[in-house]
Amino acid sequence: MVKKKASIRIFLLFVVPAMFIWITVVLIPFIYGLFITFTDWNGLSMDYNFIGFDNYKSVFLDNTFIESLKKTFVYSFSSVVFSNLLGLAIALILTCKIKGQNLFRMGFFTPNIIGGIILGYIWNFIFAFALTSFGRMSGIEFFEKSFLTDPKKAMIALIIVTTWQMSGYLMVIYIAGLINVPKDVIEAAEIDGAGWWKKIRYIKLPMIRSSITICVFLTITRTFMAFDINLSLTAGGPYKSTEMISYKIYQTAFSNMKFGLGQAQAVVLFIIVAIISIIQVTVSRRGEVEA
Amino acid sequence: MKKRFLSLILVLAMVVSLVSACSKEGADKKVESSDKGTTSDASKEETNKDDSSSEKVEISFYSTQTGMDDKFEDIIAKFEEENSNIKVEYIAAGDNQLQKWMSLYASNEGPTVSLMDPINIWENQDRMLVLDPNENPWMDQVYESAYASYIFDGDIYAIPISTQGYGLLYNQRVLDEAVGGTFDPDTIKTRDDLINLFDKIEASGTPATMITGVNWSIGMHYLALTYAGYRDSREIEKTVVEESRAGTFDLANDEVFNSLMDTFDLLAKYNYNKSDPLIGNIDLDAEALATGKVGTWFMGDWSWVQLKDIADRDTEFGILPIPVSNDPSDERNLKIPASQPKGYCIDTSQNTVEQQEAGKKFIEFICFNPYAQEIISDTMGATLPYENVTVKSDSPLADATAWYSEQGRTLDISNFILLPSDFWYENGASMEAYLSGAIDRETLATQVSNYWKNN
Repeated sequence: MVKKKASIRIFLLFVVPAMFIWITVVLIPFIYGLFITFTDWNGLSMDYNFIGFDNYKSVFLDNTFIESLKKTFVYSFSSVVFSNLLGLAIALILTCKIKGQNLFRMGFFTPNIIGGIILGYIWNFIFAFALTSFGRMSGIEFFEKSFLTDPKKAMIALIIVTTWQMSGYLMVIYIAGLINVPKDVIEAAEIDGAGWWKKIRYIKLPMIRSSITICVFLTITRTFMAFDINLSLTAGGPYKSTEMISYKIYQTAFSNMKFGLGQAQAVVLFIIVAIISIIQVTVSRRGEVEA
Repeated sequence: MKKRFLSLILVLAMVVSLVSACSKEGADKKVESSDKGTTSDASKEETNKDDSSSEKVEISFYSTQTGMDDKFEDIIAKFEEENSNIKVEYIAAGDNQLQKWMSLYASNEGPTVSLMDPINIWENQDRMLVLDPNENPWMDQVYESAYASYIFDGDIYAIPISTQGYGLLYNQRVLDEAVGGTFDPDTIKTRDDLINLFDKIEASGTPATMITGVNWSIGMHYLALTYAGYRDSREIEKTVVEESRAGTFDLANDEVFNSLMDTFDLLAKYNYNKSDPLIGNIDLDAEALATGKVGTWFMGDWSWVQLKDIADRDTEFGILPIPVSNDPSDERNLKIPASQPKGYCIDTSQNTVEQQEAGKKFIEFICFNPYAQEIISDTMGATLPYENVTVKSDSPLADATAWYSEQGRTLDISNFILLPSDFWYENGASMEAYLSGAIDRETLATQVSNYWKNN
C-alpha cells in the first residue's frame, strides 16, 4: 500500500510535468495541424470550409511538390554521404594523437555553433563576391559567375555548406565512438599484421557501428527538413530551382496563403521522414557489434 | 533521504520554470502595469484628476515598412506624450510580413493598426474597419485619388502612408555627359528614343542601364504592369484578370504583354549586370547608379534610402517612364507607374471599440502631425499623399514622382490588388528564368498563364 502510494507520487512528480509539456507543445499542435489539412483555411480568414481529402489530393497532383521532393532527395542523399564521410575522416585523423588535435577538433566543430541563418549569409557573401572576385582576378571562368545564380551550381553550393556545417558535429560523435574502441583489440590486430586500412575496415568501423547509426539518422532527418540554410543561402532561387521541401511548405503556407495545403504537405513530409528513419534505424541496428 | 530531497528540489525547479515560461505573457503584463504604477506615482497629481474618467487603452501597431523601426518608435513616443491615456505597442514585421501577421492573429493578438500592402488588406477585409470620411473629417486631408488602392466595393479600408513612383531612375550627370548638354526626360517619347539614348550613354563609356534580378522587382514591378497601368481602363484590366483566371486569356499574343517584354528585352540587352543577371544585389546596384557607373536603373523612388548615404555620390537624379511603343503620341510612354503601396488599416475582429477609436487617433497623428510627417518623409524619402504638407523631402526622386503626379502623368496601378499575394514570388521566378535566358518568351507566357489557372 505504502509502495503504491510512493509510486503514484513519483509518477506525479516526474511523468506529469513532462507529459504536460509534451501534450501542449507536441501533441495538441499536431492534432490541430491534422485538423487544418481538411480545411481550405488561408491562415487568416475568419471562416473556412471542410474540404475532406482535397488538400492531400492536390499534394500528389502538384508537380512542383514532387519536383521539390526529388530535389530534397538529391540534396539529402549527397549531404548525408559527404558529411558522414568527411566527419568520419576528420575523426579518424584527429584520434591518431597528432599535434594540436584539440585545437583542430574545436576548429572543425565551430561551424555548428554558428546558426544556419548567419552561416547562410556568410556563404552567400563568399559565393557571390569572394569567389567571383577570385574568378575575375585569376581568370578561371568557373568561378566568374556566382554559384548562386546557376540552378545546378546553387544546389552544389547548398550541399557544400551543409557538409561543411554538419561534418564537425558528426566528427564529435565519431571521435567519442573511436575513443571507446578497446585498445587491446587494436593491439591484437596489429600483432596479427593489420595495416591502417584493415584496422579501420575490420576493427574500428564495426566497433563504432552505433555511432554511424546515430550520425546517419541525425543527418537524414536534419537534411530532409533543412530550412534555414535554404532560406538564407539561396531563398529557393535562382527561379525556384533550389526550393526544397520545407521551404516549399513554408511558401505554400505563408506566401501562397494556402494554409491547409501547406499543412497537408507537411504531414506528407512527416510520413516520408518517419518511414525512412524507421527503415534506416532497424537496418543498421541489426548489424551492431558489442565489444 | 538526501537524494530524495535533491530530486524534489529538481522537480520543483522544473515546475517553477515551466510555470513561469507558460505565464510569460502574464508576467509581461504585470511589468507593464507596475510601470504604469511608477509613472502615475511620478505624476500623481495629474493622474488623480482624471483617474476615474480615463482608463488607459492599449493598442498595437504592426509595421511592414522596413528600416523604419527606430523612427516609428520615436513617433509613438511623441504620440503617447500627447495622448497619455493611450499606450502603443510597436511590432515590427520580420522578413516575411504575412507570416508574422498570421501568427499574431492566430494567437488572438491581431494588431489594432497594421501598415500593410493593399492586397493583404483586400484579402482580409472582413476583419477590417471601414473608415467613413463623414465620421472622420480628418480623412479629407488625403488626396482622393490616393485612396484608389484601398477602396473595396465603395468603402475605404485604409489610409495610405506614401505615394511612390518607379521607372528608369537616371543619374543626371551621366546623361548630361552622354547627350552633351542638359538631359531633358521629355525628349524620350518612344522606345527608339530610349535606344538612341542608351547608345549615347554607352558611347560615352558608361553602361546604359541596369536591372536588379530579384523577383519582387521584375516579377511585381515589371511583369504586373501587364495587368495594371498600361491598359485603357480599370474595367479592361479587371476583365483581363478574370479571363486569365478562367484560362481564356491569350497572354502570348497580348499587345501590352509583348510591348512590355520588348522593352524588357531592350533593358536586358544593355544591362549592366548582363554577365550574371540574377546576382541581384540592391546595395551594389544603388552604389553603381549613385556614383555614375551606370546611366539608368529600373527601380523606384524608395531606393533614395540606399542612394542618399553613399559617399561621393552625384546629387541629381530623376525618373524616366518606361516607353512601350514607337508612337510618340502614345501617352503611356510619358507616364510613370505610381501608387500608394502601403496603408494603415484597423482591425475589428480582435480589438475592442475603444481600441479601434484609439487606433484612429494614432493614424490621424502618424499621417498628419508635422513631427511624424517630417520623420516619414525624411527616412522614406517619399511623397506624402496629403493636402497641406509643409515638410519638404530632400529626395530628388520623390520630387520627380511628385512632379509627374502634379502633371497628371502617372499610370494608375491600383489594380495591383487584383493580383494574388504570391504573384510576385511565383511569376518573379519565371521572370528570373527569362532574364537569365533559361526560357523564351513563349514559355514565360505559358508559365504565367498556368499560374493563373492554379489560382
